[in-house]
Amino acid sequence: MSDALVRVQDLAGGYRPGVDALAEVSFDACGGEVVAVLGPNGGGKSTLFRALLGELAHRRGTVELAGRPSYVPQTERARLDFPVSALDVALMGAYGRTPWFRRLARTDRAAAAAALARVGLEAEAGERFGALSGGQRQRVLIARALVQDAPVLLLDEPLSGVDAVSAARIEALFAELSAEGRVLLVATHDARQARAWQRVLCLNRTQVAYGAPADVLTSEVLQATYGAELVVLADGSTAVTVEHHEH
Amino acid sequence: MLADPITRRALLEVLILALALGPLGVWVLLHRQAYAAESLSHGLLPGLVLAALAGLPLVLGAAGGALVAAGAIALAARDERIGADLGVAVAVSTLFGLGALLALAPDAPPRLEELLFGDLLGISSADLAAAAALALAVAAALVAAHRPLALAAFDRPAARSLGAPAARWEAALLALLGVGTVAAAPGLGSLLLVALVIAPAAAALQVTRRLPAALALAAGLAMAAGVGGLALSYYADLAAGASVALCSAAAPTFVRLAT
Amino acid sequence: MQRALVEIVLLAVLAGALGAWIVLRRLAFFTHSVGTATFPGLVVASAWGIAPQVAALGAALGFAGLRERMARGRESEEDAATGILLVAALALGALLASDVYRSGAGVDRLLFGTLIGLSDRDLLLTAIAAALALAADAALRRAWLARAFDPEGVRALGVAVTGPERLLLAAVAGAVIVALSAVGALLVSVVLVVPAATVRLVARDLRTLQLGAGALAAVEGVAALWLADGLNVAPGPAMAVLGGAVFALVAVLARGRRA
Repeated sequence: MSDALVRVQDLAGGYRPGVDALAEVSFDACGGEVVAVLGPNGGGKSTLFRALLGELAHRRGTVELAGRPSYVPQTERARLDFPVSALDVALMGAYGRTPWFRRLARTDRAAAAAALARVGLEAEAGERFGALSGGQRQRVLIARALVQDAPVLLLDEPLSGVDAVSAARIEALFAELSAEGRVLLVATHDARQARAWQRVLCLNRTQVAYGAPADVLTSEVLQATYGAELVVLADGSTAVTVEHHEH
Repeated sequence: MLADPITRRALLEVLILALALGPLGVWVLLHRQAYAAESLSHGLLPGLVLAALAGLPLVLGAAGGALVAAGAIALAARDERIGADLGVAVAVSTLFGLGALLALAPDAPPRLEELLFGDLLGISSADLAAAAALALAVAAALVAAHRPLALAAFDRPAARSLGAPAARWEAALLALLGVGTVAAAPGLGSLLLVALVIAPAAAALQVTRRLPAALALAAGLAMAAGVGGLALSYYADLAAGASVALCSAAAPTFVRLAT
Repeated sequence: MQRALVEIVLLAVLAGALGAWIVLRRLAFFTHSVGTATFPGLVVASAWGIAPQVAALGAALGFAGLRERMARGRESEEDAATGILLVAALALGALLASDVYRSGAGVDRLLFGTLIGLSDRDLLLTAIAAALALAADAALRRAWLARAFDPEGVRALGVAVTGPERLLLAAVAGAVIVALSAVGALLVSVVLVVPAATVRLVARDLRTLQLGAGALAAVEGVAALWLADGLNVAPGPAMAVLGGAVFALVAVLARGRRA
């Protein structure tokens, strides 16, 4: 069993002093694990990611990470009208390791091209980012994270609204990345998807549960996590109604 | 000060304008259209210049200029390639520059400063009548439209189902803004009229969030700014429009800095 | 006239180096605000014989400071707050000017620029600003691009944000300050923003945007100088009209193309 790449103890905090958006979060994630982060909108998934990125204004508790995590946001948040190509975006992953007075290394450019190939977008490298489909854009943002080459990846609903081809590609990539020994934390609403992975973390402002999918994905836990948003379908399985919210 | 007929007329004009523009400003701020107010007033400059060159009443020029400006701004704001803010910025700087060009080029140029900074003391009775008519129309319309405007401002998603489709009422507000701007332009000038629209309203909204109180307070503060500005201008021998504008701007600035 | 030509070419360099960023980072209003805010400073500089750039810097800093004190977070309120400060600056400048200038010509020059009033010092300062802007762009473009493209995720990339951000705003403010003499306090956008906005309609990548903006600014600038000389007007308005016409033309012609 490899060492924990992410170790969180009693994490709590929020955006305003005295108001906790998140509390009592404690979990470890080891290399090779894909962790599903489930929870209602506003329940703390984004807050958790911010805390892990060191961007939460008010934070208590400990967070130990192997290196700086890379972050894959939802595509709507990135600018679609920008004069940048897919390759340009992927290349941004190398910005952090290049000091401002140095040009980007040839190896970094090669890494960007390779990352795009890995997500299946080799042919689209020169296309304008905004001209790509939603699923393709999501894959480009993943390629950017690949170029960063971080041991821990945080992905914010990478599969929502993504076409089937892209989704399959992305899920296959998750398997590859975890096989490389990385940790992936994937915020998602899809409990069924979560069953395929190694760990599940349920958040609703506080940590409801953390562990293997079989142990965590029970109706009690889901009820406690999603509350009113939970819908029980005719065949007894549950689904989550996702409220449309303004970004 | 009141003995002087010129000052009396100016005082009357500014009081009537304040009565309309104060509350108008509250609605403008609640609907987040401060930038639109500024853009419209700057953009109508060519209209003012052309009217001045042709010897027509400035109010007519302001009206024409405002229509053209509104059209240009609406067109430019729709361009998706560069975004609304940038489109409006381009449209406004072009129109404003055009106004300046028209004013500076001819052999017998009109007094550009008066068109920019207002000519409160130089207004005729006809001007006053026009401004009063327009301003009172705006004030009356605001009273009549109070409920739908409030719905559209505070509860946009629900507004339509409650009988007040937000887009339509916002358009109506912008139209009233246009009329108010036209009323104020000859007296306060293209550059300064926006002070009377947004500054007293901003101060009022800082003091209270209760709508009727804010509307009344904005009107009151605007009138106070008008009186104060004219007094300052009269006794200290300063430009009238600029004094009124500065007095208007003083209120929210003080409130912000003091709290 | 000679000096004006050199100045406009130098300003075109600034338009190229920084214009793209002004457009991509939505700093058009900021650019315009800084320009307008310097107006009272320029009036004072005229009266006391100080270098206009120095007074402009002082006024801009004062404006920024007040703005900072008044800022409370919500974007619409910030727009209103800036608008109020700007109209106050204009009113203040107008009041000061009526003391300083007997005729309106002096104020026109401050607001709209001059062809003939440029000194060697003006050119030198503009050249320095242009050089610094080019250097800043070379050093910080990656940071600026990453921040512009994905403001939420930029820190996660390991890219510095605050320093480059401040430097960008400082660079833009510096560009505005040196552009004041040629195009005037109210029309700095026509050289720094409009050409970049025009090229943005069709540019597919950053490099093209920057080079195109610079080239267009140079062409429009020289043409505007020629026009201004012929019509005996200030350069600012001439460039505004030219720039607006070109923008409209490109917007219509490039309609089909999604850049």
